[in-house]
Amino acid sequence: MHSTLLSLAIIAYVAATGLSLAYLVQREEWIHRLASLATIGGWLLHTVALLARGLELGRPPLASLPEAVSVAVWVVVLLALWVERQTGVKVLGAFVLPVVLMFSVKASTTRSLPGLEPALGGAWLWVHIGLTLIGIAAFVLNFAGALMYLLQEHQLRLKRPGTLYYRLPALETLDRLTYRTLALGFPFLTIGILLGVLWAGPAWGSVLTLDPLALLSVVAWTIYAGTLAGRTAAGWHGRRAAYFAIVGFAALVLTLGAGLFLPGRHGS
Amino acid sequence: MPLFVAGLSHRNAPVELRERLAVEEDKLRELLRDVTATGTVEEALILSTCNRVEVYGVAPAPGEARALAFRHLCQHRGVSPALVEPLLYTHLEEDAIRHAFRVASSLDSMMIGEPQILGQMKEAFALAQACATIGPSLHPLFTQAFAVAKRVRNETEIARHAVSVAFAAVELAKKIFAGLARKAVLLVGAGKMGELAARHLVEQGAFPVYVVNRTWARAQEMARALSGTALPWDELETALAGVDIVITSTGAAEPVITRAAVQRVTNGRRARPLFFIDIAVPRDVEAGVDSLGGVYRYDIDDLKQVVDANIRERLREAHRAEALVEREAGKFVARLRDVEVIPTIVSLRERLEEIRLGELRKALARLVDAPPETRQALEALSSAIVNKILHAPITKLRESSRAGAHRTWLELVHELFGLTRK
Repeated sequence: MHSTLLSLAIIAYVAATGLSLAYLVQREEWIHRLASLATIGGWLLHTVALLARGLELGRPPLASLPEAVSVAVWVVVLLALWVERQTGVKVLGAFVLPVVLMFSVKASTTRSLPGLEPALGGAWLWVHIGLTLIGIAAFVLNFAGALMYLLQEHQLRLKRPGTLYYRLPALETLDRLTYRTLALGFPFLTIGILLGVLWAGPAWGSVLTLDPLALLSVVAWTIYAGTLAGRTAAGWHGRRAAYFAIVGFAALVLTLGAGLFLPGRHGS
Repeated sequence: MPLFVAGLSHRNAPVELRERLAVEEDKLRELLRDVTATGTVEEALILSTCNRVEVYGVAPAPGEARALAFRHLCQHRGVSPALVEPLLYTHLEEDAIRHAFRVASSLDSMMIGEPQILGQMKEAFALAQACATIGPSLHPLFTQAFAVAKRVRNETEIARHAVSVAFAAVELAKKIFAGLARKAVLLVGAGKMGELAARHLVEQGAFPVYVVNRTWARAQEMARALSGTALPWDELETALAGVDIVITSTGAAEPVITRAAVQRVTNGRRARPLFFIDIAVPRDVEAGVDSLGGVYRYDIDDLKQVVDANIRERLREAHRAEALVEREAGKFVARLRDVEVIPTIVSLRERLEEIRLGELRKALARLVDAPPETRQALEALSSAIVNKILHAPITKLRESSRAGAHRTWLELVHELFGLTRK
């Protein structure tokens, strides 16, 4: 039941990704409408799939990394739909959905056998995971915004408008998008990581166990903290802020990749 | 009755001839009256712009009608018909419809997507209506052409990207700033094109506007014209710090805005981008300012390059617009043909129904004692026979109309069933 629904959701996301990319090249309103429909349809299927999974397990479907990534994808899609409505950036899907697809395919093909260690349990764990996921979702959009910014900036500096110049929104809009998603994601990621640290101490015996995901997440957090500080205190903006958003996201992907591929306590 | 359009345009006729043939409104009225007076032309519309002179009309013999219309036109304008005649193109029926749709949609314009032609066509239509030369054929044609033009404008981008340097600058500003509302503009120098670009920006909500000029009186004059504020020349750098868009168009031989000056200013600007539109030749803004973060500089050549890209973008969109026009023209033709066969179908039905009722009445008069069942049976029988007979000719008429070969069939049906022409 759950896996069928999830497969359907992924099929819908595949369609949405294809359509969004097509819309980037061929500007036909109906393509965008179809892409939106596919995205919303995929998200609804995904919602039902997650609910079914939760009911089946009798707990939130967050206990292993693949499960958590699937929920993160769900949050990203919801957030992307909302941001698109808010900012009117219709090409957002073309930059967010490929990332979504990558993660959801990875999450659905990785088998999540053992789940978490028995030492870990209780409500705080879910809060740790939930908050971190919302943070990550915001950073996916942060990355998409930064990527669009750099592409548009490049077009404007090149002074030779290409297809992307016509499709992408104004630099200011994109800069604002990256700033807001950073400001949104950072507190969630911070509290999420803090809870994890507070929690891992007693549960694992030491915070400094060599869990690759935990260590890398601190690296990603540091990059985002630096970017946010630079933006608010030193007035960074535009290109520099965008580069940092890309580097931060790379660290984040590495973190999740480490969780998915390397043995550690976050379970894969 | 065949629909036709005949004329010449920028595609085949030189401007010297087009300008000699352009007709003003009063003369157009006269022409419309002259052309329709003889009965050679039943309906007529004359479209006269600097890029085309065209006669749209309905006439039994389009060739004759065209000759008549252009003879009158040449006479009015004192042009020898021998000059005009070889350049004229004529489109009939479907091609005329497609042509009207393409012209209205600005697909046949010199600058594709330009907005004027639709207005000019609407004026020509209003004038012809006032002269009562628009009838049941041209009226639906032009109202549909206007609707198609509107769709083309809304659904494709043939009219969206700027093809003038001043507008291209405004569009660039919109790709840098989220909106132009409350963006401060600084105009340096008094060039005409600079003023035009500033005016476009103001129309899009840019505010406030500062004007700097070496001549104080000129600065004040320009500031008044743009509802802005004049600033003395030595405050140029101070002004740079507070504005978002700078337009320069001075006659200075050396750059008036140096990289060093911009660098001094950008340190205090933080996240605000600064956009230089340098329309002056020689250039007013030192080329090196580009390398500063958040500073964008477009000189006249850059802007022209953007315009070229915009034109290419329009041409790309033109393919989609052509497809749309093609579809719409097809639909319109189909509708026209339906309109042509429907009256015949109706009168055919009426004719047979008339016969049926007449015969039924006679039969029933003879069967006075017949029970109601018999009467009903007769009624049903006669209706069934009529419907069966009608089925084939009606189907044939509809089919032939879809294929565009209905004229002969219409004649045939009229003859065979003795229908009278309305």
